[in-house]
Amino acid sequence: MRSLKHMWLALMACGLLVLGMGTSPSASAQNKPAKHTKRIQLATGAALAPDGRLWVVGLNEHGQLFMQSSPAQALGQWTAPVILNTQKDEIAADGESRPKMAFGPNGWAVVTYTQPLAKPYTGFVRMLRSTDGAQTFSAPFTVHQDRQEITHRFESILFDAQGHLHTLWIDKRDIPAKGAGPKYIGAAVYGNVSKDGGATFSADYKLADHSCECCRIAMSNTPDGKVAAVWRHVFGEQTRDHGFAFLPEASANVQSLSKGPTITPVRSTFDDWQINACPHHGPGLAAYQSQSVKDAASNTSQTGFHMVWFGIRKQDGQDVAGVRYARLGAQGEPLLNTVKPLPDARAEHADVLSHKQRVVIVWRVSEGSQSTLKAWISEDAGQSFNLKVLGNTPGPNDHPRLVQRAEKMLVVWRNTTEIKVYDLSP
Amino acid sequence: MTSRLNQLKAWSMFHSDKNRLFSKLASLTVTLPMLLGQTLHAQDHKHSDSAQKHQHQKQHQNQASRTLSTTHAFHEKSWPQLLKEGPRPAAYLFTTTYCSTCPAAFEVLHQAVKEKGKPVPLMAVMMDASGTKALRHASHFKGITKMYAFEGFEPEIRQSVDPAWPNVTPYVVMIDAKGNLQKVIGPPSPEMLKRWLP
Repeated sequence: MRSLKHMWLALMACGLLVLGMGTSPSASAQNKPAKHTKRIQLATGAALAPDGRLWVVGLNEHGQLFMQSSPAQALGQWTAPVILNTQKDEIAADGESRPKMAFGPNGWAVVTYTQPLAKPYTGFVRMLRSTDGAQTFSAPFTVHQDRQEITHRFESILFDAQGHLHTLWIDKRDIPAKGAGPKYIGAAVYGNVSKDGGATFSADYKLADHSCECCRIAMSNTPDGKVAAVWRHVFGEQTRDHGFAFLPEASANVQSLSKGPTITPVRSTFDDWQINACPHHGPGLAAYQSQSVKDAASNTSQTGFHMVWFGIRKQDGQDVAGVRYARLGAQGEPLLNTVKPLPDARAEHADVLSHKQRVVIVWRVSEGSQSTLKAWISEDAGQSFNLKVLGNTPGPNDHPRLVQRAEKMLVVWRNTTEIKVYDLSP
Repeated sequence: MTSRLNQLKAWSMFHSDKNRLFSKLASLTVTLPMLLGQTLHAQDHKHSDSAQKHQHQKQHQNQASRTLSTTHAFHEKSWPQLLKEGPRPAAYLFTTTYCSTCPAAFEVLHQAVKEKGKPVPLMAVMMDASGTKALRHASHFKGITKMYAFEGFEPEIRQSVDPAWPNVTPYVVMIDAKGNLQKVIGPPSPEMLKRWLP
């Protein structure tokens, strides 16, 4: 009897389900899957060639990797896009994960991107290389030696002053299999070095354990020929601030760094943000070498870094989210009295450039469908700033991408119809 | 249709003492789509020694595909509509394809629902992918009822949900039976879960 009652209830429930599908417009609206429109991935990389030509690389509306360039004398007048052969790789070009381009000496140029793999949260860092100044490119190849189907994502690339190509990425090879070891917090920052423009690479080395998993890594050349990096780092169990380190020099035996304990990064921010989440919001870094009047008299100079980052910190008992600026000392330590919030509570994805006393910070802010591009410009090495509105656009658009070669400082901003260039050079 | 079946499945899961009803419901959930002429977009994969690893992976992913065959568009006007007409109680977890901390937060919601033994819908909202790309991740959200996918300009949609939400995931919104909202970045605390499902 009891089972018959249950059976009857079940049939009633199913009947109601079927009836409900046709009778409730609101429920129907929730359940009927609307057809998705084609998603255009707008995240674009930009680089200045030695001849001053500006290059961009991104995905077109068909998901193909394209590049085009603009002459130094007519920035924003783009050549026709050229499609690169990526052997049908899937390519991540959204938010912090974007294709990138860099120029080195000897006509070397490289394009990189993350190739998401079939398994969620996994990827390979892929590269195409050119030896004729980006006129032609090789077929894509995988940059890292490790070929496990795990996370190798959010790569960053930079040629140093000696022409060595440094690549860093987020890597999860140190995470033990489930139940096979103690919990590993976050991911790791791995890297390698190429002395021949991407033809060959050193062994993979580990820069640091316990990075955050899904934010871009910022890199900067220093005046004394080193390369510095800053990334969102997990300190302790779940404090997501930022770690800073110098990369090993290309002449170092990076093989020895690939195993064993790694450096403890310098902590460059102290928001003390306790969170087990993904901010999708990496930092920006620019080295500086400034000489004050007093320094000039004594023939000394100050070296350090300008940094911008997103974080949430407690202020008067409240969680205050925001993008902040600070100067770092020569070893990446924060100069705490220089910390200041950007003059825009909803600033997103800021980045920073520096040349002599000039500091340029650029970010995007969105209000509904409208986005505005703003710049904060300092002429006194970050002591004071002036706010400038550069432009605005309706609808989908990319984060602002900053590029620099010596005193040339540009902002590239892409929307669904065009790629705009703003010249913020002194 | 599929989500209603999922709700039915979820409902049945939490009444383990009614085994007989279970079996009837289970058979109905299998036969109903056939009766209605709709197909679940999933395929069974046979194992072979040579491709065991890939097959295992596909099988794992398809466990989710068996219950979720599509993503639902979530645009800048969806959230007010869902708050007005959507299920209560319920929870929405906003995520991305590269948010590796998100499945753990979803599991906290799933465990809370399991412990309560109530058929509470749990939704994931994918912010950077839709369709097949988004559904690849469904297997990481155990207990998922429905997956939405952002359709439009991400910041605009995000602001329609909460103007104060920085682009951090997992972003979780729990709606209780009376329609009260709790929002949190990261996994919800036990106190929040208790308020959500008293």
